[in-house]
Amino acid sequence: MRQILGSALGLAIALLGAAAPALAHHSLQSEYDINQSITLKGTVTKVDWVNPHVYVYLDVKDDKGAVTKWAVTTLPPGNLRRGGLTRDLLGYGETVSILAFRARDGANLAFLRTITFADGHKLEIWLGDATKEAP
Amino acid sequence: MTRRFIFNLAAIAIAALCASPALAQRGPQRGAGGADANAAAAAKPTPRTADGHPDLTGVWAGSAEPVKTLAPGESTRILFPVRTGPDDKRIFDEMDRAAKERQAAEPNKPPYKPELMEKVQLLSDKRQFNDPSFYCKPLGVPRMGPPSQIVQTPGLVVLLYQGRNTFRTIPTDGRAHNPDADWTWAGDSVAHWDGDALVVDTTRLVEDSWLGADGWFHSNKMHVVERLSRQGDTLTWKATVEDPVVFTKSWEMTPRTLRLNPNPKALLEEDPPCLEQDGPHIVTDDHH
Repeated sequence: MRQILGSALGLAIALLGAAAPALAHHSLQSEYDINQSITLKGTVTKVDWVNPHVYVYLDVKDDKGAVTKWAVTTLPPGNLRRGGLTRDLLGYGETVSILAFRARDGANLAFLRTITFADGHKLEIWLGDATKEAP
Repeated sequence: MTRRFIFNLAAIAIAALCASPALAQRGPQRGAGGADANAAAAAKPTPRTADGHPDLTGVWAGSAEPVKTLAPGESTRILFPVRTGPDDKRIFDEMDRAAKERQAAEPNKPPYKPELMEKVQLLSDKRQFNDPSFYCKPLGVPRMGPPSQIVQTPGLVVLLYQGRNTFRTIPTDGRAHNPDADWTWAGDSVAHWDGDALVVDTTRLVEDSWLGADGWFHSNKMHVVERLSRQGDTLTWKATVEDPVVFTKSWEMTPRTLRLNPNPKALLEEDPPCLEQDGPHIVTDDHH
């Protein structure tokens, strides 16, 4: 079974690789630092389902109750839609935990990797070739 | 890992193949089945309208299967294809490197006058600040490529582009260009039949658009002739670009062949609005 799963995944990844659609309208490297991962826990206050990148806005409270506003961006809406997502599935009004990579300019801005919801379900929206994943 | 997850990943892969603008920019469609699928589609009979012309009407984009929406509470993983593992810290670099590799390998570059090559390079080097499409401007003709859908009527053809919800209404009734037309991103187009090819002639294109992301600018003297021809269930788009201000000769863009969406109920989906918010946060000249 594991082999079948591996083959299915390999096919899917190979197809994705063959397609190589444009992602960023600019280099992610020029805006985000992969070495600065951050975990944000807060409430989703807004979802901008727009091109060229979808944005999720978050209110993050510290221990004293002070709120910091964050923006977390991700792939274009077309990629998310083809992956089965809609705007409503991105957690508007919900408390979530987001793993992301910070903007280089120090703004409260980051590039999404994973959203984890209170019930434990996760949306990983990221980059890469799963066949080259570390075991 | 669940069956649903595998289904999702495969669906994403297939949808990406069908909907990728970057893919389409690299010549003939290489969608599922690639050249073989194109040949099989081309071997089908070519439908004709009552006036005897090939009927170009149809949806020439998208997947035959509608997108399946995840159930609330369902986990998923959407991986944008990059040739390195998801945990590789070089993943952003790899994206840039692969894109630059593709650009360097592009065999069909516009024939710019030698004295303009430096400007092209400068624009290309700073493309993430200069490319109008990065900042939500239209792609314009001819960068927008072939249409996603065609509606052909006697005397008028309507070209629909899913990207940015764009349309062109083009008369085929023999009229000349509108001498009062303003300069726009899609210009002023008229069309006629040359044998089985629909020839779309476009002038009055604003100089604000680019022909590609490599700094390929043009003047407002640009003249574009597109040829749309249907063979079976394939549509081939060719474009010739003339611009005596910036080119040494006319430029034939790389042709693109699309397959008819096999689902007769297929519909174009609305493209969400464009709201560029990244520009102020770009801190380096890295680009791809």
